[in-house]
Amino acid sequence: MPEPSPQEVTQLLAAWSNGDRSAIDKLLPLVRDELHQLAHRYMSRERPNHTLQTTALVNEAYLKLVDQRVVRWQNRAHFFGIAAEIMRRILIDHARRHLGAKRGGGNTISLDDVAVVSDERAAELVSLDDALTALAKVDERKARVVELRYFGGLSVEETAEVLAVAPDTVTRDWRRAKAFLRRELTQE
Amino acid sequence: MKPQRWKEIDRVFAAVLELEPDARAAYLDKTCADDTELRKEVESLLANDVPESLMGHQAFEEATRLLTPAAAHPPRHIGPYRIIRSLGAGGMGHVYLAHDEKLNRPVAVKLLAGYNLAEAERIRRFRREALAASALNHPNILTIYEIGEDQGQNFIATEFVDGQTLLELVKNGPVSVTKTTDVGIQICSALSAAHAAGIIHRDIKPANIMVRDDGLLKVLDFGIAKHGEADGSPDDQSQIRTAAGAVIGTVAYMSPEQARGLPIDQRTDLWSAGVILYELAAGVKAFHGETPLDTMAAVIERPPLPLSAHGHAPEMLEQIVFKALKKDRQARYQTAGEMISDLKQLAKNLEAGDEKAMRSVHATKGPAAALTDNEKESVDVAEIKTSAPDRVSTSSEGNREKVEEPHQAPRSLNRSGRNRKLILVGLALVLLVVIGLIYWSYANRRPQISSIAVMPFVNDSGNGEVEYLSDGMTDSLITSLSQLPQLSVKARSSVFRYKNNKDASPQQVGKELNVQAVLNGRVIQRGNDVTLHIELVDVKTETALWSGDYNRSMTNLATLQGEIARDVSQKLRVRLSGADERRVARNYTANAEAYQLYLKGRYHLLKVTLPETQTGISYFQQAIDIDPSYALAYVGLAGANRALALSGELPANEYMPKAKAAAQKAIEIDDTLAEAHSELGLTMLWYDWDWNVSENQCKRALELDSSNPDAHMAYAHLLSNAGRHAEALAEAKRARELDPLNLKTNALEGLFLIHAGRIDEGLDRLQKTFELDPNFWFAHLFASSAYSEKGMFDKAVAEARKARDFSGGGNSVSMAFLGYALAKSGKQAEARAVLKELSKLSATRYVPPYHIALVYNGLGEREQALLFLERGYNEHDPKMAFLKVEPKWNSLRSDPRFQNLMKRVGFRS
Repeated sequence: MPEPSPQEVTQLLAAWSNGDRSAIDKLLPLVRDELHQLAHRYMSRERPNHTLQTTALVNEAYLKLVDQRVVRWQNRAHFFGIAAEIMRRILIDHARRHLGAKRGGGNTISLDDVAVVSDERAAELVSLDDALTALAKVDERKARVVELRYFGGLSVEETAEVLAVAPDTVTRDWRRAKAFLRRELTQE
Repeated sequence: MKPQRWKEIDRVFAAVLELEPDARAAYLDKTCADDTELRKEVESLLANDVPESLMGHQAFEEATRLLTPAAAHPPRHIGPYRIIRSLGAGGMGHVYLAHDEKLNRPVAVKLLAGYNLAEAERIRRFRREALAASALNHPNILTIYEIGEDQGQNFIATEFVDGQTLLELVKNGPVSVTKTTDVGIQICSALSAAHAAGIIHRDIKPANIMVRDDGLLKVLDFGIAKHGEADGSPDDQSQIRTAAGAVIGTVAYMSPEQARGLPIDQRTDLWSAGVILYELAAGVKAFHGETPLDTMAAVIERPPLPLSAHGHAPEMLEQIVFKALKKDRQARYQTAGEMISDLKQLAKNLEAGDEKAMRSVHATKGPAAALTDNEKESVDVAEIKTSAPDRVSTSSEGNREKVEEPHQAPRSLNRSGRNRKLILVGLALVLLVVIGLIYWSYANRRPQISSIAVMPFVNDSGNGEVEYLSDGMTDSLITSLSQLPQLSVKARSSVFRYKNNKDASPQQVGKELNVQAVLNGRVIQRGNDVTLHIELVDVKTETALWSGDYNRSMTNLATLQGEIARDVSQKLRVRLSGADERRVARNYTANAEAYQLYLKGRYHLLKVTLPETQTGISYFQQAIDIDPSYALAYVGLAGANRALALSGELPANEYMPKAKAAAQKAIEIDDTLAEAHSELGLTMLWYDWDWNVSENQCKRALELDSSNPDAHMAYAHLLSNAGRHAEALAEAKRARELDPLNLKTNALEGLFLIHAGRIDEGLDRLQKTFELDPNFWFAHLFASSAYSEKGMFDKAVAEARKARDFSGGGNSVSMAFLGYALAKSGKQAEARAVLKELSKLSATRYVPPYHIALVYNGLGEREQALLFLERGYNEHDPKMAFLKVEPKWNSLRSDPRFQNLMKRVGFRS
């Protein structure tokens, strides 16, 4: 697939923010590759154990991928939203594959899968994802708050900007969503 | 649940959360009324409302970890190597500084970026080629130690080079012509060796070349570099287009044939070397374009501007560079050797300041014509060279080397003069030299051999497990031969440096160790049979003076070394008295099993790491259990326990008493054992702080064996710590003469000089140590001390960091020196961080209080420093024996408490 130009990326972002969920399938590999490259560069430049500056990384990916001349300021927020969704997908896919391989599901795991997620952690993540899906069915905004905060690493203010709500709303949603998820996770 | 229902629950839940806890029940009574289901929902949510984070941590970090190749998160170990820190990312993957726990040396480990299974073929080819390159043994080629796989990840372990890449050198603008020439010679020497082995580098560029601080250059990634980025196939082109940033650096150094996707040969490397030389001399890239494709076009089509366009450059350099940069490879240098010889000529002219000579080089003339002529002539001369010695009937190999020099003369004269007559002059010179050599060898026929080096015996058993046997037999023979009068035998640590350098010629060894003969040996063990083949070689002529085979059963080994020593002394015509005979033939145990256990103990002890030393202790103990009168095994036990106590990682008051008891026991069994007295002297010095007894023991050891370098070193240490610097330095010098390549002896002599206040001389000695091994951490530690004394704290910090890294990271003495230097350079916060690290370390293992005191003293915290010194005294910290001469304590010397402490450690004012 040819790489989309910055204009196309901008259009995809707009489509996504207007509710076209399929746009993310085109954006996902692109943003993931960019984040991948940036993360690699950050990590090799910094000393080991250095934690990545979440927003700096996503911001840099955004600046590289999006056509700056035509963007509206909201695009940045949308981009952060997408980044969070991508992070969630990467992590959960990985955890599911990990568990699948463990159960002898016949999947061959590639070399870079080795030793990143522990069994326990993978199971936890998969349950969280299920709980989050359940939450999204009844309360989409709270599920988005969790996705942005937890998987996207965004602050309350940044989350508020992405969702176009007041920061207080984010704080309250976050608290109640957490109680919901925790209950789901401990129920079984 | 329906969204509608959730909305209701959530609304009540939200409202309840706003209330004080004791008001909540009443509110729920009122709001839920008889909807018990609603109430249950809200209450269960409330029970889960805890102020903890969702899953303990942010998922984002985890996700980015997945985005990043595993190599960016340093594993603790890769194969047998413990990771110390990251050195950065290269084209192929991440590179770490690591510590080889077995051989106790720093290594660089390159982890290949997470290749997936689809690239299996690529990995296979990579391994094959890396394996070929690992056979290259040249000072300008980075040595590959191991190509391995750990948990599915491929890695390469190589020699660690402390320096910078040429990239940093070229960044700072043009460098001098002399430097450029030197770099050129070194690169081409590496290429010449590789090409001779059929290996083409394919990616010679500044980033692949490292320069050590002492100017020695190392070419990295032979045979493998290219695989990281592109594989030489035509679809490289697409890679250049899509990942321009990644390959752009390489394009500039590609040869035209490479850029055009044609098959390449060794001449492509010579082109790349030319591009580097151009850049070094001009300060700008030879080929440069806006985009990689533009750069490639320049490489293929355009010649670069002459060097003179960028400033002054000798014509000869211009000619060399442009001959390397001929687009047509037929017109280029054909071999690295040709390029070296021109560069060497230039270097010679530069040295002579002969500008005129720099202007003429055969590269100026029509290359093809000049070449044929030259080749013809050199063939002629070569024929004369090889046939001449035969004609005058000498078969000695050693002569050949000497003969070569005059042949250089006519050849270079020939270049400028091109006069046939000169060849005749050359021939006459050759004959003269040959005649001279024959006369010389006649006059010196059968010179008396008075110095030898026993080279590490080669284990030919095909079984690494019996390496202790070949090493141990070498060791025992050295000890036996050292007993011979009139014969100087080089010490173990000096000869064992050649264990990994089997290609060293007897001549080279003779020169480096200053000996007249070397003794080589091969050991083959099969079941219960051991065969030893030895050969005594004259280093001048490289001919065998004598050789012999010994066959023994394993149970008979203990007497073997005495027998060999007797034979060797006969061949060397060293006259032995009856007492000498007895000493040489002496074996310390009659029990073969105990002897083998002792050899195993020595083998592990000499690996110098803590776990190996502990293994050594258990073998010595087993040897003693079998033969309780085995004095040497007690000496081994004493030495091992002392080593543990002095490591600074284990409490001395646990191990030193054991060392002392073992040394005393050894003396009790055999009072004439020099090593035993030496060991006792050391425990008296470091632990009992009984300076008189220590001195008596050291002196007694030297009386018994005046050629024992360890005994000299022990005495030197005592004298130095006691402040008797002149005597100490004389002893250290004697130890070094006996054991010239011993790293520790060399470094300690540097320390003694520093403690004598002769800082610059100390640094000179440390510099000499670095020439033996640039990564020897002891020497870096002492260098840190020297720079601290000179007030050059930045350098002191840098050296202490190296000491820390090269020692395998985190040993407390290097951290203490680092903390001290940081504090002194005004970096208080960083010094405190070191202090914190030390205290964290002390939770898991022993940290000598003396080291903590050092950092406090650097920070100017006198009370804390004295407090920890007091603790050092109470814990018998061996380092307290440095109190008198360690200049870092000078600030405390006037304090009565410090003086009192000194007195208690046995120093009289």
